[in-house]
Amino acid sequence: MGLDRRGFITFLVGGAVGTLFTPVPWKLADDVSIWSQNWPWIPKLQYGARSEAPSLCKLCPGGCGLSVHKVGKRPVTAQGNKNHPLSQGGVCPLGSSAVQLLYRPARVKGPLKKNNGRFEAISWEEAAQIVADNLKGKKIAALSGDENGSASEVLAGFLKLLGSDDFYFMPSDAQVSQRAWSLMEGKGQLGFDLENSDYVLILGADILSSWGPVVRNQKAFASRKGKFVYAGPVQTGTAATVDKWMPVYPGQEGVLALGICYYLLKMGKSASLKNFGLVRDYILSKYTPSVVEAKTGVSAAQVQKLAQDLVKASAPCVLVGSDFGQGSGAFEWASGILVNLLLGTLNQKGGLVALPENKVITSAPWRSELNQKSFLKFLDEVEQGKAVDGLLVYEANPLYALPQPEQVKTVLEKIPFKVSFSTFLDETAMACDLILPAPHFLERFDDAYTPFGVGQEIYSVAAPVIEPIFSTKSTPDFILEVANKLGVDLGFASFEEVLQAKAESLGTDLESVSAEAYTSDKWLAQNSLSLPVEILATGLETEGEGVFLAPVARNYLGNTKQALTPFEVVVVKEFELQKKDFYIQVNKNTANKLKLKQNGKVKLQGAGGECVARVNITETVMNDVIAAPLGFGHQAWDEFAKGKGDNLFKVLSVKEEKGSGLKVWNRSQVKVVRA
Amino acid sequence: MAKGKSCVVLPFLIGFVGALIVGWGLFPKLLYSEKAQPIRFSHKVHVEDQGMACDECHTFREDGSFAGIPTTEECAECHAEVMGEDPAEAKFVEEYVNEDREVPWLIYQKQPDNVFFSHIAHQDFDCTTCHPDVGNSDTPPVYYENKISGYSKQTMKMWQCERCHAQNGASNACYVCHK
Amino acid sequence: MEAIEFKVKWGMVINIDKCTGCGACMVACQAENNIAPMVDGSDKRMTLTWMLVYELSNGKPFPEHDIAYLPRPCMQCGKPSCSTVCPVIATTKDEEGGIVSQIYPRCIGCRYCMAACPYHSRYFNWYDPKWPAGMEKTLNISTSVRPRGVVEKCTFCHHRFMYAKEKARYNGEDPMDLPEDAYIPACAEICPTGAIVFGNLNNPEHKVAKLAKSKYAFRLLERLGTDPQVYYYSEREWVRRQGDNYLPHEKTKGE
Repeated sequence: MGLDRRGFITFLVGGAVGTLFTPVPWKLADDVSIWSQNWPWIPKLQYGARSEAPSLCKLCPGGCGLSVHKVGKRPVTAQGNKNHPLSQGGVCPLGSSAVQLLYRPARVKGPLKKNNGRFEAISWEEAAQIVADNLKGKKIAALSGDENGSASEVLAGFLKLLGSDDFYFMPSDAQVSQRAWSLMEGKGQLGFDLENSDYVLILGADILSSWGPVVRNQKAFASRKGKFVYAGPVQTGTAATVDKWMPVYPGQEGVLALGICYYLLKMGKSASLKNFGLVRDYILSKYTPSVVEAKTGVSAAQVQKLAQDLVKASAPCVLVGSDFGQGSGAFEWASGILVNLLLGTLNQKGGLVALPENKVITSAPWRSELNQKSFLKFLDEVEQGKAVDGLLVYEANPLYALPQPEQVKTVLEKIPFKVSFSTFLDETAMACDLILPAPHFLERFDDAYTPFGVGQEIYSVAAPVIEPIFSTKSTPDFILEVANKLGVDLGFASFEEVLQAKAESLGTDLESVSAEAYTSDKWLAQNSLSLPVEILATGLETEGEGVFLAPVARNYLGNTKQALTPFEVVVVKEFELQKKDFYIQVNKNTANKLKLKQNGKVKLQGAGGECVARVNITETVMNDVIAAPLGFGHQAWDEFAKGKGDNLFKVLSVKEEKGSGLKVWNRSQVKVVRA
Repeated sequence: MAKGKSCVVLPFLIGFVGALIVGWGLFPKLLYSEKAQPIRFSHKVHVEDQGMACDECHTFREDGSFAGIPTTEECAECHAEVMGEDPAEAKFVEEYVNEDREVPWLIYQKQPDNVFFSHIAHQDFDCTTCHPDVGNSDTPPVYYENKISGYSKQTMKMWQCERCHAQNGASNACYVCHK
Repeated sequence: MEAIEFKVKWGMVINIDKCTGCGACMVACQAENNIAPMVDGSDKRMTLTWMLVYELSNGKPFPEHDIAYLPRPCMQCGKPSCSTVCPVIATTKDEEGGIVSQIYPRCIGCRYCMAACPYHSRYFNWYDPKWPAGMEKTLNISTSVRPRGVVEKCTFCHHRFMYAKEKARYNGEDPMDLPEDAYIPACAEICPTGAIVFGNLNNPEHKVAKLAKSKYAFRLLERLGTDPQVYYYSEREWVRRQGDNYLPHEKTKGE
């Protein structure tokens, strides 16, 4: 009997039935379904022990303490440090994305040298030699975006020993307040004791969104004892939560402050100023209610009410600052300080306080001196022919975050040797000759001494949380190495030694201060103060032509140092950015006047440049003002930030301020045309 | 052609039995590939010879999580340098301790990422309820890896957990075990 | 639909009067729960935002205009619309604590639950997640990584509940009677103004239980009968009014 077709088929059928009695079909189905859910390109989790390590966020000058959660050796999330006074468990969206920034595609992976327009990798030894060769006997300048870290102290001290006075900080209210305070013969760093105030009046500064130590401001607001009133041109996050929002034209917070002073003076309040009589007469004659109303858009009755409420409060605090954290002048600050002086709150609980300074590098100038130097003034000097052989840029992005960045680029082209220590490929780094990347702050030792805006002296230090992923070197350590090559002695062999000395100068030690921030309640007593009347004239200047621009800074759009982070992309609202277009915000009234339509494409034309945007009509902006977000229009970085929208810094207009030597750009006006 | 009834039963039986043999005998051999642990770890040396207790390495951490298999760092507390003559130990020190690398141990009871198993919730059970008793072995048992799904042959399936939960009155809510 | 009564009911009270719209909660949620970053976030139908901050407006022109921000996680409804429609029971509300589960390997991606959810809290993975090179090293062990084709949503950081129970067991305490600060989701923990308060709604000692009883507390779309476990708090009537589709003559609770 042979195997015929029927037999063969029966054999197959027998096999099939038999297979059903084996685990094969069921196991295969199960395994295949599991296989279909385990594509090799979907990452698998890497397990390990969970732990927390303290750190300090250096993405903005706010100085928040972080608690970095780790799995094994890997940091996974950055959360607030409950024990840190400036964090109290909270973090802003930027700090929250800090861990993922370790692997941001824009990270610079090692020292780079520009060769014929392209960057090529070099070694750190070569880098140190090139820098030493280019600094020896030359005129060097430095720009730092790290307002409160000892790394800047090292850099400033180094420059001084090279014979240079050209160390600058990136512009911010920290500098302007110092200039104003010093013109008033005040000593120390100004701060605001928000935590103990029962009436906080905020003039301009967007304290709950982006100004100063934002998280600490928010914590102070959350546990407040009294009222918070915010005067600004746009309803930002601060306006959404405070007790009262008072619309004021952009950059007019100084005039509003003097308007309040007018009423305080009428009530008989006085301030201990050497030239008080002069100041009083000037304000009473020049800053009358009608003048103030015309300039600020705030009615006289409202200004008077503000003055009365401030007087009724037992611990009022008036915080003045720029709407977008930079560009204001000594005028705004002096006026704001004056209100506090008239209320008698200087160095009082809940008021305006003067905090001590600290330095350990002997050759470095004091922070109060460094804060008074204007980088924009320096750029003017270079443009007019001042010889500068080299520029060192640390934690700063001037080719993006300064007003009229295209002009800044042209001026900086006159400097033949430029080094950027940026951790990321930002606009400035792309234009430099050397990129010598500093590690991400989670990979290095760093510190923050009394961030600007806080109400007490505070010092925090953080140890690295992860070994450097790429070939990076801590910038202050690199500077100390180069200093050694040049035979320049800063007194320390390593940055850790600097931090140890700093801790000791405050009566503690590095280990203790790494575990818990150092704080004190020292306030600096003042000798006699005076207020040069010529500064107060700025508020009376006539404005130019065009609509007022209110730039808005929000931490979820990045900031002057960090571009929109990967995790912040989805936080941006659909009426702030759509694909490649960013939106300017105007209310219906303004839109009708300017003949603008929702989603219409427009060009903003400022004194030094222009921006392309679309229009969003929203009632969160006051009449005759265009609000627009800062943070878009990056031309470097990575796909998360590059090419999205346009850079509003291009249309800011810069003016010279009388009596202070500062440049200001908080009252920019623009023309709007259809694009 | 010879007029014989074509046999239906025999080919059927041959096919049937053949399928049973292939399905029960050959299929498992084909489905699983045999793998060895990267280091020939001997429990016997550590438990019998060195007198270590199980929970010196397999402990609960202070947050309640189970440490599972110790990390290279933990092993290096003793094995920072080669202590004995075994080539397996030498390999461990050379390739893992000195390189500061974790050993890619093959986990017999490996569960997928979407499963959350809490050892401490099961601390009243004997370890051998779920795990093979390797406490006295000199070489680690062979690891059978499913070629299709990528998991271990000993990976427990959901019905095993569910059944025991149901029998013991523990909740069978989805989120009790999944993440 | 029959709703199970749980002994512990995890809930939130979000104080809209304290929310500055900063978005820290949104970023913390992404980092905590292994949500892949997106290059283009313009199309809000494609983005994965388990926690989403909405901007509210009182609809009046300047200068009477008022603004508020509303963070919206999953409501963890007492009577969820989503779990009743799931054809494969990939989502249920059956665990003590009342968190609505979402099991990725069982989800077939039919998106019926997304259609059913009145709060748009559920999100679909249109694409496989893509992390920039190296960023997968920052993956948390909290949640599994989802492939394309499954729905995901806020879980009140359920993994932190599991960790809190493990810790309680280690300390010999009752895992079903956790102290108020033992378990807190990432968003509530990180909020700089403390606008998000979390706890057991059934425990009268917890802050959430007290706040939820306030006349200023309200829930979104309350009259749909979903019984959400997320309450909102605002002393501003216009904000409370936006919590449901009120007819012009209807009053809100706090009036």
